[in-house]
Amino acid sequence: MWWILLLPTLLFADTVATDEKVVGVFYFKPMFGHVHQSATISSASLTTIQCSHPIKVVESSKVSVSAEWAYVQVADYRGFLLKQFLSEKRPDCFQGKYPKFFDAFNLDLSELYYWGRLNDQYIQGETRVK
Amino acid sequence: MISTSRAKLALSSFLISLSVLAQTGKLQDEKELEAVDFSTIKKVLQQDGLMESSRRKVKEVQILKKEQGKVESGRYFYPSESEIWGFTSEYWLVKNAQLLNWDFEKPDYGLEKSFSTTMETLGFYQKKYKILLINSPSLVKASIPGDGEMIFLLSVPFIKTLDLSKLEISLLLFEEFIRLEQGYFKKNVGTEKLKNLAGTNFRGKKPDISMIDELLKNYSNQIQEKGYTFQQQFEITKKMDSFLKSNPALWNAYFRLLGKIDKFIKVNVQYKDYVKLYPSPEMQVKWLSPAEKVL
Repeated sequence: MWWILLLPTLLFADTVATDEKVVGVFYFKPMFGHVHQSATISSASLTTIQCSHPIKVVESSKVSVSAEWAYVQVADYRGFLLKQFLSEKRPDCFQGKYPKFFDAFNLDLSELYYWGRLNDQYIQGETRVK
Repeated sequence: MISTSRAKLALSSFLISLSVLAQTGKLQDEKELEAVDFSTIKKVLQQDGLMESSRRKVKEVQILKKEQGKVESGRYFYPSESEIWGFTSEYWLVKNAQLLNWDFEKPDYGLEKSFSTTMETLGFYQKKYKILLINSPSLVKASIPGDGEMIFLLSVPFIKTLDLSKLEISLLLFEEFIRLEQGYFKKNVGTEKLKNLAGTNFRGKKPDISMIDELLKNYSNQIQEKGYTFQQQFEITKKMDSFLKSNPALWNAYFRLLGKIDKFIKVNVQYKDYVKLYPSPEMQVKWLSPAEKVL
């Protein structure tokens, strides 16, 4: 009889799978960034990604996010990214333009982490066109 | 009997080969030579357009090789000067993350809206900027160049202790904007190596990243030790005066802000270095004050 208890869980899992769809593939714009565990800047980082990394934006009835954030899939990770960091076209990245110069710095993991955090922590703005 | 028939067979085969030679007039070797003589097939090749297509292919290969060389060579360029400034500014922030303590949780102060509004009121349009709040009193404020944008650093303990309004913070940032526009930072921090190497190619050599190491040292020295001269500060104050004069509310707010900072740093030991870096709020107030009438 134990399987009766599992039945609702199995049905629920089926609903989750069918309610999800990939909205599109986008590209990450800043030099480095983090896929967050939840839709807040202070939430933990699931993985660090770099400019031009392809990102699947997922729509799911089980996950609701504010207008600023996107629910994404990056490799095996499902998490959240600020929409302002996503581009429909492959961006012109610094590390792509100057690979040999960039590689010479041999950035360590801590530097990659902080570079990603830097982009999270910036308050970015632009004054309007007259 | 057998020998007579053998003699007949040899005679007939000799006669047959003689007749063949008489018909064609060419030996087998001659024919083979003709087959490898390109001058004879040249006409055929020209007729089929094969010569043209082979010439085109040679050209295409040459172009492809040239392009491949260009792409390969393009991988060995130093970034442009503007890109180097942007990269170095962020690298300096990353290297000093623990010291500056900018990775902390903070509320939304609404600075983007108020600063953009202030800039637009003063006529500065299409200006890109980034503000990084710092959770440390060790650095009050600074402005560093980005690639096509400006990066402003601002101490949260400083603005909290002074209880600055959004407008006052915006004016403080605007002063930093003018400072960067004046080019003092790049002038004080930039090196000859940066000017010489930016945008050049280093193929066949290792990139000289000591250029960035030098800049990083200069950044720390400029932001934490050296600061700006009286002359530079005077020129910035005068610029602020002329920009704000058309808007008395902003001018008065800036004048009051300088007075507030002057009083604050005189009694607060934690901020004793402020005057060394930005000389000095007291002088700035004097420079802005109308000249006293001599009777």
